[in-house]
Amino acid sequence: MRQFGETALLEPLQALGKQILALLPNVLAMVIILSAGWAAAWLVGLLVQRLLRVIGFDRICDRLGVTAAMTRGGVKSDLSDLIGRGVYWGVLIFAAVAALSVLNLQPIKEFAHSFLAYIPHLLMSALILLIGYLLSNFVSQAVLIAAVNAGFPLARLVAAASRWGVQIVAIAMALEQLGIARNIVALGFGITLGGVVLAAAIAFGLGAKDLAKEFLEGRLSRSQKSAVQDDLRHL
Amino acid sequence: MEDPTLLTPETEGLVQEIGTSDVLVGIPSYNNADTIGHVVRAVSAGLAKYFPSSRAVLVNSDGGSSDRTPEVVRQSIVDFGAMLISDRQSPLHKIITPYHGIPGKGSAFRTIFEIARRLQARACAVVDSDLRSITPEWIELLIRPILHEGYDYVAPYYLRHKYDGTITNSIVYPLTRCLYGYRIRQPIGGDFGFSGRLAGYYLDKHVWESDVARFGIDIWMTTEAVASGARVCQSFLGAKIHNPKDPAADLSAMLVQVAGALFSLMEEHEAVWSTIEGSAPVKLFGFQYEVGVEPVHVNVDTMVASFRQGLADLEPIWRQMLAPETLEALFPLRDCPLQAFHIADELWAHLIFDAAVAYRRYVMPREHLLKALTPLYLGRTASFVLETQGLTSMEAEGRIETLCQTFEKLKPYLIARWNPREKDRNAVEPTSLAEPELSA
Repeated sequence: MRQFGETALLEPLQALGKQILALLPNVLAMVIILSAGWAAAWLVGLLVQRLLRVIGFDRICDRLGVTAAMTRGGVKSDLSDLIGRGVYWGVLIFAAVAALSVLNLQPIKEFAHSFLAYIPHLLMSALILLIGYLLSNFVSQAVLIAAVNAGFPLARLVAAASRWGVQIVAIAMALEQLGIARNIVALGFGITLGGVVLAAAIAFGLGAKDLAKEFLEGRLSRSQKSAVQDDLRHL
Repeated sequence: MEDPTLLTPETEGLVQEIGTSDVLVGIPSYNNADTIGHVVRAVSAGLAKYFPSSRAVLVNSDGGSSDRTPEVVRQSIVDFGAMLISDRQSPLHKIITPYHGIPGKGSAFRTIFEIARRLQARACAVVDSDLRSITPEWIELLIRPILHEGYDYVAPYYLRHKYDGTITNSIVYPLTRCLYGYRIRQPIGGDFGFSGRLAGYYLDKHVWESDVARFGIDIWMTTEAVASGARVCQSFLGAKIHNPKDPAADLSAMLVQVAGALFSLMEEHEAVWSTIEGSAPVKLFGFQYEVGVEPVHVNVDTMVASFRQGLADLEPIWRQMLAPETLEALFPLRDCPLQAFHIADELWAHLIFDAAVAYRRYVMPREHLLKALTPLYLGRTASFVLETQGLTSMEAEGRIETLCQTFEKLKPYLIARWNPREKDRNAVEPTSLAEPELSA
């Protein structure tokens, strides 16, 4: 009975204990890396936040309309705070993954590698979305002003369409970066855009021939229809 | 400092051969073969008639014309007998040269200034190459105040229809007068006289790779002259008739160029204009007269429609550019009857000042801000036309004078908004408007 207890219980426990003892240095290393990582994350996050404040990053974001967009989305913190916090969590997650890989356990190692390999794609897609948003603002504002100055009655519609066009392209590119339904997104985007262009061509070319003719005549000869020609020399 | 790369070797050789000159007249050109001959003959006759004993040089700075413009310049001669000019003591030297740099009038002027400096010219003038109304007397009126009266800068004063030059009348003249304290009626006329010393001063400015070189040169020259303390005057040249440019062609591009140059120069010369109060008259040379000019047809309905579309569609953009009370004051114009459409002088002054401040603070891409001014400008022009349609040119000029006085009266508003943390600068003694000497 005693021998049974020693064989069935003690020996596995001893083996487990040995494994744990063998793992202890790795666990200790993990804790040290995690602690150092947490400290580094806090410091780097704080430095980034302060640096962005010093260079006036929040003022630039005000001018670019990013702050206004965030406020509309319910985010009230300054962008420098958010980026600081983002950097903090980024460094911390990186430290956590590095700490876990020190344990030398195969499944964890593989997870860590694929997670780290995915981070650049995450960052790139975030950058694409941000650039796409800023570009859509710029393009729609330029289109709106040009359309109003040209006297185009549907100026706001055209500006909104240009904004959505740029943002949809940016979203499609971001999804492609993330590897989410790549083929579906590319195909869907191509089909939709092609369909819109084809529909417009058919509508103006065939289905609304007379309307297109009237529209173009009215648009191109707007100044001629006026009773009085404008001879102003502005300079 | 001389720039050795500015002139071609042939031009360098010609300049060395000529040595020095008393008077230099520059004509920038690009594909003006049909008009430049007349301009060259008028300049030649003017130099021979009014400065017969002065060493004179005519410089054609060409932007790579493909219609043989330089050949026309070379071949243009004057029948001095028919002009009753007999006393030509000094030959006229012609320099026909391409210019280097960014394509535009500014780069052409830079070449002319450089040649003027190398030749140590005492008095210079520049005239447009498409002028049809230039006479030999223009040369006397642009050069004599420099050569014999000690002025540094001569601005043109043209006889114009009351609705001609509406950007000048509603923006450029009131703003430059209010800022710099000199009543230069047509600061962007296009034909100027200036001293050789002022040409050297212009050359030393680092603007030749900027937008000034493309399209801001006229207002830049005038602003730099007054801001530097140069002695400025004006000369009455009569009507300016030149090749018609398409009047509807990209008005917003014109506003971008002119207003953009004005606002940029405000940033650069803040220390000068922020301490000036009021304005002083500027000596006007020449025999003034009034004749009927060609009528100008104006389509007020289209302009008001453009303004109202701007008010409807550009309101979010105008809200970023304008002070809230300024924008609020525009709303009653949305639905009022055409005959009641009126943008008051005070409102217009506030609009321009707010736009200048918004430009400085970079509230949006600057080109967007300037282009968004187009409907506002059209609204103001329509309002001015409606207000003055029954008035003579002189009476309409009286309205412009009232507008300028309003700009001057509201200048503290501009100063307060320009530097909100330095409002106490208003307490500084205003700069005297007596004619100072050109700074070294």
